[in-house]
Amino acid sequence: MKMYFLKRLLSLIPVLFIVSIVIFMIIHLTPGDPASLVLGEEATEEQIQAMRADMGLDLPILTQYFHWIGNALQGDLGTSYFMRQPVTEAIVSHLAPTISVAIIAGTISLLISIPIGILAATRRGTNTDRTVMGISLIGMSVPSFLLGLFLILLFGVKLRWLPVAGYQPITDGFFGHIKYLILPSIALGSMHAALIARMTRSSLLEVLNMNYIKTARSKGVHEYLIITRHTLRNAFLPILTVIGQTFGSLIAGAVVTETIFNIPGIGQLIINSVERRDYAVIQGVVLFVTCTYVLINLIVDLLYGVIDPRVRLNKK
Amino acid sequence: MSREKLLEVKNLKTHFNTENGRVTAVDDVSFHVDKGEILGIVGESGCGKSVTSQSILRLFDEKYLVKYEGEVLFKGDIDLLKLSKSEMRHARGNEISMIFQDPLSSLNPVLTIGFQIAEALMLHEKITKEAAFEQAIEMLKLTGIPSPEKRVHDYPHQLSGGMRQRVMIAMSLACKPRLLIADEPTTALDVTIQSQILDLIEDINKRFDMGVIFITHDLGVVAGLCDRVVVMYLGQIVEEADILNLFENPMHPYTKGLIKSIPHMDGDRKEELHVISGTVPSLENVPVGCRFAERCQFADELCQSKMPDLRVVGEGQKVRCWHAEKIAEQEEAPVYVTS
Repeated sequence: MKMYFLKRLLSLIPVLFIVSIVIFMIIHLTPGDPASLVLGEEATEEQIQAMRADMGLDLPILTQYFHWIGNALQGDLGTSYFMRQPVTEAIVSHLAPTISVAIIAGTISLLISIPIGILAATRRGTNTDRTVMGISLIGMSVPSFLLGLFLILLFGVKLRWLPVAGYQPITDGFFGHIKYLILPSIALGSMHAALIARMTRSSLLEVLNMNYIKTARSKGVHEYLIITRHTLRNAFLPILTVIGQTFGSLIAGAVVTETIFNIPGIGQLIINSVERRDYAVIQGVVLFVTCTYVLINLIVDLLYGVIDPRVRLNKK
Repeated sequence: MSREKLLEVKNLKTHFNTENGRVTAVDDVSFHVDKGEILGIVGESGCGKSVTSQSILRLFDEKYLVKYEGEVLFKGDIDLLKLSKSEMRHARGNEISMIFQDPLSSLNPVLTIGFQIAEALMLHEKITKEAAFEQAIEMLKLTGIPSPEKRVHDYPHQLSGGMRQRVMIAMSLACKPRLLIADEPTTALDVTIQSQILDLIEDINKRFDMGVIFITHDLGVVAGLCDRVVVMYLGQIVEEADILNLFENPMHPYTKGLIKSIPHMDGDRKEELHVISGTVPSLENVPVGCRFAERCQFADELCQSKMPDLRVVGEGQKVRCWHAEKIAEQEEAPVYVTS
């Protein structure tokens, strides 16, 4: 297990290296000179040159890269020109809402999707199954911004149960915090819930067809234990993969929902930074989101080893 | 020597609902197994032998797929087909247990073999996990697995094919069932391991006086192991005989064909192996007359138009053929005897 962990960890190095190069190139591949874009049209040539020197853009490109990545490794992602604060600080201050939404959306979608996926699989071919599959198809097809708007109209405007938009930090009260985040979480989580429910169903059906399920039945194992003990753990690997992917995209997907619900999270930070051409922030946020994604996938890979003994190959 | 009947299958029919309508995979099958007897069920793929065995334990999904007809009497008066779900669960693994063809796919990959053996004990004998594991170790010892104390914590992928089948056998024997159904238990194993497993099954049969239904397509295996044999073809029994009669005096052309197809190590190697021409027809397209007629060299109009009944032709021997006696007279060719 230790070797497996180490191997997975080492395999991250090339991935992160490539990612860092792509992110670094953002600043050089976007049209126009960043310095003049930041300073605006009225800047003089001298001001622009001074700015370029300040941003380190006059140095050779390799030096720039190593400079940037060296600082990034130490947690210094540069300084935002617009906000006049370190990028790391800006990310940290925008992190809480995004994480909150991701956790709530993730929890809701898991709590709904896995049980109904199991229900559909055990009742395959019945009306329950067809209903679950139908709803999940709708859930997958409706984009989160559209669902978000519908939810605002229904629960915010018509019924007035929940706030239309905005955010309240968790430090000002847990329930207030949840109240603001429940609609965005549903909007964001519904697609994932639908995806996970379908995956749960199909994966379970596949395992239920396996010979070892027949063996378990021939031993006189109760249907309930057949599902919980003999089927779920085997069926969980593909489900886990989907969960990992969707959890990663919950953070990335925040861009849209945070805009609609006006939540000051990472998504809003990146949208604003793109508008302001605040390159350091864009690079920082993209690097952060990518790392989160990679990290979640690492956790998923490690969980494979926990769930399936065959993955822990070298433990013989 | 007349022994007590352990299991008696009477006019069993198993129907499946498929997209193309209802299909009868087991059609009016009757046979019995005595206490301590090894009964062989023989036939090609698709002849209904596995379906028959799984019908006894009712392992098919009854909600959507299957309808059973007939009776499966266990210990004289318990009709398995009439038991409630929970009564049936109680019988499975406890009174009747089963081993399957491919031991790797038949063992759960994420549970230790110890747990898989202990599970049946915990279910049926309501003993603690520790006690069940103790017994699991005993069962592993019994089936000849070296250092069972260590092996109980292994997962199926850590064992060899032969070991896995031993684990399957240990699992099926855990609750000391009265009847063991072995569905092609040696087909996926190589020949040396195969004979070890057969020896083990025979040993267990003797030691616990346990009835065994041994399903196989290999008559060579049957010869050394079984007391009596039922030959199936396309969902029906075509011949039933004790082991000596079956090889010395086979009555059905299909049985004769199967016996001729056994390769002989001592015979002329240049001689081509006998092949029964044609294939088993589809269940969706069952012939009106004798089901074997299409592939039978003796078939005439009667065979094509009318299905023969399974009739008694000698002591303990039954055959489903119009012309069994005539064919026996015509064919004075030597018949192989395998011991």
